[in-house]
Amino acid sequence: MGVVIAVISGKGGVGKTTTTANIGLGIAQNNKKCVVVDFDIGQRNLDMILGLENRVVYDMVQVMEGESNLKQALIKSKANKNLRFLAASQTKDKSILESSKIEKLIRALKREFDFVILDAPAGIESGYEHTIEFADAAIVVVNPEVSSIRDADRAIGILDSKSAKVKNGGEVEKYLIINRIVSDMVQSGEMLRSEDILDILDISLLGKIPEDRGIVDASNQGKPVILDKDSLAGQAYKRVCDRLCGEKVEMKDVENNDKGIFKKLTGMFK
Amino acid sequence: MQGNQYSVKVYETEISDEQKFMTFFDSNYALFQNHLIVIKGELSQRVETYLKEKSLKYIHNVDLPKGRIKTSIRKSLEADLESEKIQNLAKQKEADERLEAQKAENFLSQQIAEEKLAELSGRLENNLKVLDGRIRSGRELNIEGDLLLLNRVNSGATINTSGNLIATMDVEGAIRCNGNFMMLTASPKANIVFNGVVVDNTLLEDKLNRVELEDNKIKITPVLKKEINWA
Repeated sequence: MGVVIAVISGKGGVGKTTTTANIGLGIAQNNKKCVVVDFDIGQRNLDMILGLENRVVYDMVQVMEGESNLKQALIKSKANKNLRFLAASQTKDKSILESSKIEKLIRALKREFDFVILDAPAGIESGYEHTIEFADAAIVVVNPEVSSIRDADRAIGILDSKSAKVKNGGEVEKYLIINRIVSDMVQSGEMLRSEDILDILDISLLGKIPEDRGIVDASNQGKPVILDKDSLAGQAYKRVCDRLCGEKVEMKDVENNDKGIFKKLTGMFK
Repeated sequence: MQGNQYSVKVYETEISDEQKFMTFFDSNYALFQNHLIVIKGELSQRVETYLKEKSLKYIHNVDLPKGRIKTSIRKSLEADLESEKIQNLAKQKEADERLEAQKAENFLSQQIAEEKLAELSGRLENNLKVLDGRIRSGRELNIEGDLLLLNRVNSGATINTSGNLIATMDVEGAIRCNGNFMMLTASPKANIVFNGVVVDNTLLEDKLNRVELEDNKIKITPVLKKEINWA
């Protein structure tokens, strides 16, 4: 049986979908069978970021309604054979979701895969509640800014009260990814430090992802940044995936700009 | 004149059945050997010889002074002195009694006060809610009674209490307290309304502050001063 991880944030635009795509691919690179599911019904993006938009024939809603079987709807990734993708419906909206059907779908995916990653929609409405309902764990993505932290806090609160695991007396494990860290801004105090964020949210830290200009292009190209070995964000996502797969990887301090002496010198002559 | 004063243990009894009396004394001899035995009513020859045999000290039909002995001693004093002193004594006694009565009354009222206090603290205990977990954004708490918060109140959370509030960690959410006092840490981001009055949270600058209402004005007193870092 696999583990179901929901990627949540509360606020939109903090990098949930990018994180989902990169984590899915990273886990597949670690030779684990992984499926990423886009739960953002009506506003799907994950297919584009994974570069699979032209392969979508059947979507999740059609599988749940019995119009197609699961095997047909699972799309194989171009980048890694261990990764599968299940698209959200673009024409329906989230009111179509039903708990019993979601549970059946997730059970089926759990049997097939080691990791089931659910990309939650932004906000805290029914679509979000359905995503977290059957999750075993959650990855909370935040940006180092107050509005993102507050929305994430709210999302965690709902997770702690509405998930099926909590209702059965269990606890959903929650991990934090701090995304889009700009080291200079943290140093100058414009951006929140990760210690402050952890103090507010009180969940365990899974990784810190530095801001990377390459991410926009990577998303447009449909090639997640983790495929780029030179990218700082890609390396950070790699460390996150290794941690998820049970390896002990040291937390790299991306908040301190560790510019080498050579870079410092070149910087002086710019 | 010289004399010695003693306190003596006395066992006073009336004999109805001689045999019973003797077996009782036989079995309890160790207890009574140093007692003065006072026999009331009839004292037969047989019992007397028995007591002498056991070398127990006994007296027959003596009305021993019990309780307040002083009055009986006064009787032997001269008449003038006696009456005066008795009067004084009576006064003293009266005063004593009054004092005693008052003491008893005080004791009673104290007892009542204590009982009331216990009742009150019992009520406080029942009504004091202690929350350990952090209050996350979007959560709204409505507390009847007092509240003790042991963790953070995050931005976007709301807490309403009818009683007093003590927060031991950072407060960034909204607080509506209608009690007699609040204890808060320095909370620059909090939104605090105390008994309908908005609290200027820039005034909460110390490590722990007490907020009270005095003549319809907010009064903030530092409880714990800021920690000074000498480094």
